[in-house]
Amino acid sequence: MSDGTVFKNKESWKAYCLLIPTLIIFSIFMFWPFLYTIYLSFFDWNMITPTKEFVGLKNYIDVLSDRNTYKILGNTFIYIAFLLVINCIIPYLFAFVLDLILKRFNGFYKSALFLPAFISLVVGSILFTWILNPVSGPVAIILGWFGIEMPIWSKLDGWVILVLSLITSWKVFGYNFIVLYASINGISREIIEAARLDNVPLWKIFFHIVLPMSSATGIYVFIITIVQGLQYVFTPIKVITQGGPNYASSNAIYHAYHEAFVLYRTGHSAALSIMTMLIFFILLALEFKFVERGIYYEN
Amino acid sequence: MKIKRSVAIPWHIIFIITIIILLYPIVFALGSSFKTLEDAYNNVLNIVPLNPTFENYITFFNSLPAFKITMNTFIIASVATIFKLITSFLAAYAFVFLQFKGKNILYFMLISTIFIPFTVTMIPNYLIISGIGLVNSVWGVILPQLANALGIFLMRQSMKTIPISLIEAAKLDHIGHARIMKDIVLPLVRPAVTSTGIWFFITTWNEYVWPVLILKSKENYTLPLALQMYISSEGGTNFTVAMAVSVITMIIPLTLYLIFQKYIIGTFTSSGIK
Repeated sequence: MSDGTVFKNKESWKAYCLLIPTLIIFSIFMFWPFLYTIYLSFFDWNMITPTKEFVGLKNYIDVLSDRNTYKILGNTFIYIAFLLVINCIIPYLFAFVLDLILKRFNGFYKSALFLPAFISLVVGSILFTWILNPVSGPVAIILGWFGIEMPIWSKLDGWVILVLSLITSWKVFGYNFIVLYASINGISREIIEAARLDNVPLWKIFFHIVLPMSSATGIYVFIITIVQGLQYVFTPIKVITQGGPNYASSNAIYHAYHEAFVLYRTGHSAALSIMTMLIFFILLALEFKFVERGIYYEN
Repeated sequence: MKIKRSVAIPWHIIFIITIIILLYPIVFALGSSFKTLEDAYNNVLNIVPLNPTFENYITFFNSLPAFKITMNTFIIASVATIFKLITSFLAAYAFVFLQFKGKNILYFMLISTIFIPFTVTMIPNYLIISGIGLVNSVWGVILPQLANALGIFLMRQSMKTIPISLIEAAKLDHIGHARIMKDIVLPLVRPAVTSTGIWFFITTWNEYVWPVLILKSKENYTLPLALQMYISSEGGTNFTVAMAVSVITMIIPLTLYLIFQKYIIGTFTSSGIK
C-alpha cells in the first residue's frame, strides 16, 4: 500500500468518521451474517420455528454423507474447468493478440468484446434458451443443413453444464479480457520490441515475457473466474434448469440456495456454504503457493 | 514493429467471428421483438421482421404493471448507486490520505469480501430484511447494497494518482477535509467516479440473485424478475413477448455503455490490479 498519507495519527478519528458508513453496512450485512452462518451450521432449523436445535457437527456429516453432494461437487469442478478455459485462458490469448498483433480496429474490438458484460444474465439466459433450442432455434437449423442433430442439452449430463457455462461466459468474458489487456498493455514496450528484433517467435514472447510480467493480474483473473464465475452461473441455473435434470446442472452455490430457500434446511445450507468457502480458500492458497515464485508484480 | 499480414489476417477473422457470436443474441432479440409470432417461428434465420409490429411491447404493458416494474428497477439502481458512490468515495479518501490505526488490516478485510460467495451471507441477510419488515419492498433490495468493496478499490486506485504535494499544500493553508474533497480530489477523480457510478447503476439494474429472494409480488418486481416469468413456457406463445421484455431490460444499460464506453474502458484499463 503506497504511503501517501499526509495527515497524522492525531487526526485518525476523522478517518474513522469517513469510514463509518461503510463499516456500518459491512458489519450488518457482511461480517455479522458471515459469523451467523457459521453459527447456523451447527443448528437444525427451518427459518420458521422459534427454536433452533443444537446438533453439533451433524449438518456437516449429513452433507458429506449425501450422495448428491459428491455429484454436485463433481459438477462444481467441471464448471470451474469450463469457466477457466473460456474466461481465463482464451481472454489471455485474445488480450495478447490484440495488444501485439492487431493494430487496426483495436478500439472497436475492445468495446464490442466488453459489451455483453453490461447486459443482464437473465436476458442472456432467455436469449440463449431460444437461440440454442435443440429443435427450432437458429443454431439447430444451421447445424441441420450439415446433417448434424443438436443434443437436447438441457436434459443431458455434461452438456447442460457446458451450455450453462457458455451462457455465463458470454457475460463474463469481456471484463476478464479488458483487465488482462490492460495488464499486458502496461508491459514495457522496450523488452517486447527487443525480443521482436531478435526474431523471438510470438509464442515464446507470450510464455517467457508476457505471461510472467502480467501474472499478478493473471492470478486475480484466475481467482475471480472461479469465485465469481460460480456465482454468476447461479442465474442461468435458476432461470433455465433449477439444478436439474436430477442435480446434473447444480453446483455448490446453487445447491446451498436450494437447501435454504426451497427445502428450508438452513443448517445444511450453512454447512455447505462454509465448506464451499473453505474449498475456495484452499484453491486460492494452492494457487499462490504454486505460482508465487514465478510472479512478477507490476509496479 | 512489423507484424506479417499472414499472421494478422487470421486473427482479425477470429476476432470478428467471436464478436458476431457475442452480439448475435442482441440482434436476434431486437429483430424477434418486432415480429409476429408466426413470422418468428417460420423465419427464424431472418433478422428483419416481415410485418414489423409493436404488438409484443403492448402485450407486456397490458399483462404486467410494466411501468411500475421499470420504475422499481430505476429506483433501486439509482438509490443504490448514489449511496455506494458516496460511501466508497469517503472510505477511499480515508484510505489514501489519512493515517490511522488498523488501516491495512481494515482495507484487507473489506477487499477480501469480494471473494466470499453470496451463499455465506444470504440467510442472515434475508432474516434481517424480513425482521425489519422489508421483504417484498424495493428498500429491502437496496439496504444491504449501500456500500461496496469494488467501489472503494476503484476510487482508491484513482486517488492514488493525485500528487501528494497538492494535498500537502492545501493542508498547510488550513483547508479542511470537506473542501479538499470537494475542490481538489473530486474534480481530479471525476472520470473514475463517473465510470464507477455507471458500472454500479448497470450492475444493480441487472441484478437478479438478491431481488429474487426479496421481491415476491409482480408489482414490486424489477425487469430481470419480470423477464424470468417468460421462460417457464418453453415453446409456448410468449416467445416474442419475452424478446420485447429482453429489449426493454437491456436498452438502458446498453445506451449508457455506448455513450460512456471511453470512460468505462479507461477506468477498468487504468486501475490495474495491484
